[in-house]
Amino acid sequence: MNVDHIITKISTELGDRLLELDRKSGHRVYFNIAPETVKAASQMMLKDFGARFQIATGIDIREGIEVLYHWALDGDGLIVTMRTLLGHEAPELDSIAVICPAAEWIEREMWELLGIHFRGHPDLRHLLLADDWPRDNYPLRRNHPLPGDGEATP
Amino acid sequence: MNYAINALTRSLNVFHLGGSACNNCDIEILDALTPRYDLERFGITLVGSIRHADVLLLSGVFNKKSAIRLKELVAQAPRPYLVIAIGGCPCTGLMFRDSYNWDRPAGEYVHIDAFIPGCPPKPEAIISGVVKLIGALRSGALVPGSLQEPSGAGELVPDAASVN
Repeated sequence: MNVDHIITKISTELGDRLLELDRKSGHRVYFNIAPETVKAASQMMLKDFGARFQIATGIDIREGIEVLYHWALDGDGLIVTMRTLLGHEAPELDSIAVICPAAEWIEREMWELLGIHFRGHPDLRHLLLADDWPRDNYPLRRNHPLPGDGEATP
Repeated sequence: MNYAINALTRSLNVFHLGGSACNNCDIEILDALTPRYDLERFGITLVGSIRHADVLLLSGVFNKKSAIRLKELVAQAPRPYLVIAIGGCPCTGLMFRDSYNWDRPAGEYVHIDAFIPGCPPKPEAIISGVVKLIGALRSGALVPGSLQEPSGAGELVPDAASVN
């Protein structure tokens, strides 16, 4: 499958659940979906495309908290990234760890550092932070207070 | 020069511990050991267990979680051993000093015998630091922290005098 076949297949399978699609290059495709579609789209990538879950990214941007899931199609030399945007207040997502065990640890990391709650995660506990880290203290959020003398610009 | 220091400063067995490191210092350590700079020709090799090691190499910022592991390692290390901090992170913390991951400099958890600053230090700098450390030990100018009283690891390590 080359990149154009992938794009056609994604558009056909998701229909109007697909919000936006961006063909960055012959090896890279990004597509946007709503948070509710994440689990179904992941199931699609795993079963219909035979993609391998590489990693997920969580980032706090102006518009909200964006989560990206990176899927590798190794046989075709492609990486397809699934993007979704959550609000800053109480971000929540369905956990894909139940269908894709490779996502367990990165979802734990996104929860503990950004505060995204993953519904249905089998083992949601700290990965990197100490177990006695204060609750509701998410270090990678932009509004996290800067320790030190505060001279560094946020 | 006493027998212990003579034996210690011959072919050094090195055990590496990274506490939340970015791993660039780890790469430079490997560069120093592989054929271009080739410290392995002096018998300096990496070992898989602290119980086989003469030197504990530290890299990266040590936070509360990795400090627990550091103290356990130091408790298991047979005396005498040396502790070398590679890179700026275990020395002072560099730009991570005020971050959420910072607790305290690694030197406050365990006595460090040599600091090799850099980000990362070049293999030449690592070699230079190790050579200076060996020279200082052999001349008697430096006593390894593991041989000083009180022992470097704090409450986890029984005092040598209390063992028998």
